[in-house]
Amino acid sequence: MDVGLLEVRNVTYRMFVELGRAPSAAEVAGAADRTSAEIEAVWRELHRAHALVLNSATNEIRMANPFSAVPTAYRVQAAGRWWYGNCAWDALGICAALRADGRIETSCPDCGEAIAFDVRAERPDDERLVFHCLVPAAHWWDDIVFT
Amino acid sequence: MNLFRSEEHIDRWLGGRDPGATITVAKLSELAHAWWSDRLAADWQPHAREQNQTILDELGLTDNFWRLP
Repeated sequence: MDVGLLEVRNVTYRMFVELGRAPSAAEVAGAADRTSAEIEAVWRELHRAHALVLNSATNEIRMANPFSAVPTAYRVQAAGRWWYGNCAWDALGICAALRADGRIETSCPDCGEAIAFDVRAERPDDERLVFHCLVPAAHWWDDIVFT
Repeated sequence: MNLFRSEEHIDRWLGGRDPGATITVAKLSELAHAWWSDRLAADWQPHAREQNQTILDELGLTDNFWRLP
């Protein structure tokens, strides 16, 4: 990946973690000494490279995987904040990316009952739970929001 | 990509649809840590397809469902 893309990508991720939310193009532009239009252009390239996901209607960040920029069914407490994961895999991925223990809260899609568990030293403390992935790996990026 | 209380809950949720793949939450955590742990590293580079396929393979996720494009 081009050095310029990597730089903007890394600033974007660093700011997401610092702010606890997705940064705007203007915020990243200020930190990276670029214009907002330049940041938006780089973000579109990163989106095409599957390095982040933009909201197609607004060009704002929708996912900086494993982090979600919008509320989801997967809430994660780690490193002193609450985060949203894009899915169950990403919820655990937030603990992995932050290199932190954490707590994950969601609900069973079948019965709606609350699910909450802690992750300590990379291990979930409720091993009765199971993960189901509906879409085969070959098609994950056909519609990443659905996946 | 959801968590369920048990495989019975998955079956009921599918309601006759073809199932995808099911793994334990412990296996999912192994997968998530192998996949995402470098995401905030200063020297992060995009994973090549082969690198990600190796992660899946080494966790025993080797059937066609887990073959990346």
